[in-house]
Amino acid sequence: MSDSASGASGATTRPTPRPPGAVAPRAPRAPEQRGEDLAPPAGPATLKRRSFAWGGLKLFFLVIGGCTVKFFFPRTLTEPKTTFKIGRLDDYAFGVDDRLQSKFRIWVCRDTQRLYVIRAICTHLGCTPNWVASANKFKCPCHGSGYDSTGVNFEGPAPRPMERCHVELLPDGQVQVNVLRLYPEARWDDVGAYLKV
Amino acid sequence: MATKTDHDPASMKAMVEKIKEQGELQKKWKANFFETPFWRSIFRHKVDETPRNRSLAVLSNVFLHLHPAKLNRDSVRYCFNWGMGGITFYLFIILTFTGVALMFYYHPDKANAFRDMLYIRNDVPFGNFLRNMHRWSAHAMIIATWLHQMRVFMTGSYKPPREFNWNVGVILLLVTMLLSFTGYLLPDDQLGFWAVTVGTNMARASPLIGHEGPFVEVLHPTAFNDVRFALLGGSIVDANALLRAYIWHCVALPIVGSIFMIVHFWRIRKDGCLSGPAPVMLDSEAGKAKGRR
Amino acid sequence: MHFDWYQIWQNVSLPDNVPIVLMMILIPYYLWYGFREAVRNDRLIAQLESDPALAKTHHRKSFPFHPAWDKVLHSWPYLLRVEFLAALIVTAFLMIWSVYLDAPLEEPANPMLTMNPAKAPWYFLGLQELLVYFDPWIAGVMLPNFIVVGLMAIPYLDPSPLGNGYYTWKQRKFAIAGYMFGFLVLWVLLAIIGTLIRGPGWMWFWPGETWDHHRVVHEVNVNLHEMFGITDPTMYGIFGGVVTIGVMAVIGGAVDIAIRKLHPDMFRRQNLVQYLHTVGLVALMLLVPVKVFMKLALNIKYVWVTPWFNV
Repeated sequence: MSDSASGASGATTRPTPRPPGAVAPRAPRAPEQRGEDLAPPAGPATLKRRSFAWGGLKLFFLVIGGCTVKFFFPRTLTEPKTTFKIGRLDDYAFGVDDRLQSKFRIWVCRDTQRLYVIRAICTHLGCTPNWVASANKFKCPCHGSGYDSTGVNFEGPAPRPMERCHVELLPDGQVQVNVLRLYPEARWDDVGAYLKV
Repeated sequence: MATKTDHDPASMKAMVEKIKEQGELQKKWKANFFETPFWRSIFRHKVDETPRNRSLAVLSNVFLHLHPAKLNRDSVRYCFNWGMGGITFYLFIILTFTGVALMFYYHPDKANAFRDMLYIRNDVPFGNFLRNMHRWSAHAMIIATWLHQMRVFMTGSYKPPREFNWNVGVILLLVTMLLSFTGYLLPDDQLGFWAVTVGTNMARASPLIGHEGPFVEVLHPTAFNDVRFALLGGSIVDANALLRAYIWHCVALPIVGSIFMIVHFWRIRKDGCLSGPAPVMLDSEAGKAKGRR
Repeated sequence: MHFDWYQIWQNVSLPDNVPIVLMMILIPYYLWYGFREAVRNDRLIAQLESDPALAKTHHRKSFPFHPAWDKVLHSWPYLLRVEFLAALIVTAFLMIWSVYLDAPLEEPANPMLTMNPAKAPWYFLGLQELLVYFDPWIAGVMLPNFIVVGLMAIPYLDPSPLGNGYYTWKQRKFAIAGYMFGFLVLWVLLAIIGTLIRGPGWMWFWPGETWDHHRVVHEVNVNLHEMFGITDPTMYGIFGGVVTIGVMAVIGGAVDIAIRKLHPDMFRRQNLVQYLHTVGLVALMLLVPVKVFMKLALNIKYVWVTPWFNV
C-alpha cells in the first residue's frame, strides 16, 4: 500500500516502501567483482597436470584405504589350543560324559560300537547346551533347543544336529580330539568322526 | 604457458583441439555432477570460480570455517609465518589416527603390553610402520611446537591483544610434552620404564607434598600418599602406573588438549587473525601507541 | 688420543637421537630465517626514521608492494593450497622417516636392572642435566614451575608496542636476547648436552671420546662453607643463606642497573610490579649458569646447607 504517489509531488522521491524483512536490491557488480577475471581458462597442459596430480592423490588415498583394511587382519593369533588329549578309551563309560564341558567344551559319548565327541555348540546361535541326564537330552538355556543323546535336534529353534569333533587314537593309547575339524551329520560315518570300540 | 612440441603446426593444432575437447567434456561432466541433488545436498554452494563461491567454500564448511573467508596476502608468506602452528596441528591429527590404530592391538597391562609391541611390530600388517609414524610424529610435534613458540615470540605476537592466547599456547606446550611423556611408558620396555622412574622420582622431591622433598615435617607425606603416589597410583612404577599413563595418554590429555586447541584457534580469529606482518612502527610513534587494541 | 668418529656416528644415528639432530639443524636455520627478516625490517625502520616524509607514505613493510595486487586473498584456494602443500611435505617426510628408522624397543621393563645411562626422553634431558647442579626439588619442581610461570608472564611484562607483528632486533633487544638465552642456552643446549655429551654414569664425554663404561672419574665435591672452614651447622646455615641471598641481590642489582642504562624506555614504561617481576625472573635465569659454573669449575656441591633443604 504505497503512498509514495500522493506524497511525491515536487518533493524528493522516496524509496518504494518494502514489506518488513525485504532486502533492497543491489546495483549489478563490475565484471571483476563477479570473478570473471579471476582465473584465466586453463590450458591443456595445465589440465593434464592437474588431473595427474588429483589422480595421484586419489591413488594415495586408495592405497591407504587398502592398507587400513589389511591392518585389521593380524598374521598370527594367540587362542586356546584346539588339539588336546582326553585320556584313554576305558576312561569313558557308556552314554554321555559331560566332565570336559567346562574345560574343552565337548561331550564324550560312547555306545556299543563307537566313541565319539560332540562339540558343545548349539546350532541355533552358538550357546553351550547342558546335558540333562534325567531327561536324556541336551537342552540349550538360551532359546530352549533340545537335542537327543546323540546330538540330533528334536525340539526348539535349532536347525540341525550338533557337530562332532575329529578323534584319533594315539600310539600311547590316548584319545586325541581336534575341535577345528568338525563333522556335520552327513559325515558322522567318516573315518575320524568316531573311534571303534 | 605454451606447450612445447616439435609437431608441425597443423597436427599441433589438431592435438590442442582434441585436448580442449576433452577438457570441455570433463568440465561438462563435472558441471553435471556438481549440479546433481546428491552433491547439492552435501555442498550447498556452486563450484564455479566466483568470489562468492570461494568465500562459501570456507564459510559453509564445518571443518574449514575456522579460516577467515579472506586474509592478508602478506601473512601467507613463509618468511613471516613458518607454518609451524599448522604443522603442529597436522601432526596432532596424524598422531590421533595412528594412535587409535595402535589401540586396536594394545592391552595396557603388564602381562600384555610388551608382547603387544612385539605383536604390532611383527604380526600386524603395517604395524611397524604405524608405530614408527606415531613415534616420529610425536618427536616432530615437540620440535614444531618449540619452533612455533619461537616464531610467535620473534614477531612479538604475544603483545596486546594476544596475551591470553600466548598463555593458552604455553598450556598446550605442557600438554604436548605430557602426552609425549605418558606415551613413553606404554611400550613397557627398559627405555620407557626408567625414563618414567626418573621423571616421577622428581615428583617425590616436591616441597611439602613429596615424601623426599624439603619441609616433610609440615604435612608428613609418605611414599604411599604423596604427589608421586597420586601420579603412579602406587609407590612403584607398576601395573597401575601403566594403566594411568594409558588413560592420560589416550583419553584425558587429548581431551584437555582439544579443549585448549579450540580456545587457541578461536582466539586467533577473534584477536584479528595472524598478527602480521604488521607495518613497522617507529620509535617516535611508540609513545603515542595506546595500551590495548 | 684418538678421535672416535664412530662413537659420534653411533650417538647421532641412534633412532631416538635423530630428533635432536633434526632440531640442531632446524633451530639454527629458522633462527637465521627470522633474523634475516629482522635485519630487513631494521634497515627499513632506520630508513624511515631518517626520512619523515617517506615515513608518511611508505607502506611500512619490507615486502615488495604492488599497487595492482589485492591486499587480501581468499582463503580458498590460496591459504588452503599452501596448507595442503605443507601437509604433503610433512606426510612425505614422516613416511620416509618411518620406513627407514625403527622406533626403539628395548628389553622388557626390569625394575632390578637399570640401563646405563638411564635417560629421560630427549625433550626432558635439559631438566635431567640440571639435576647435576641442583637437588631434585629445584631441578625437577621449582625450575620447571618458574619456566612455565615466566613464560606465561612474558606478555604482561612487556610494555612496548614496538615489534607487534613484525620481526625486529633493534626495537626488542632485551626481549629477544632474554628469550633466546632462556630457550637456546638454558633449554636446548642443556638438552643437547644431555643427549650427546653425557654418557654412561652421566659422565662428561667430549665429542670424539669413546663412551667407556669403565672410565673412572675422581670428583671431589665440597660444599661452599667447607671451603671457608665453617663447621658449626647454625653458622653455615646462616652463611649459606647470606651467600645465596647476597648473590641473588648482586645479580638482581646488576640486572637493574643494566636495564636502567641500556633499556631506559622499557624501564620508563613498566610499572613497579612489572619491573620487579622482570628483574626477578631475569635474575633467576642468570643464577642457573652461576651455579653450573660453580659446580663444573670449582666443584662446589651446595652453597646453602640447612636441615630442611639444600641449594
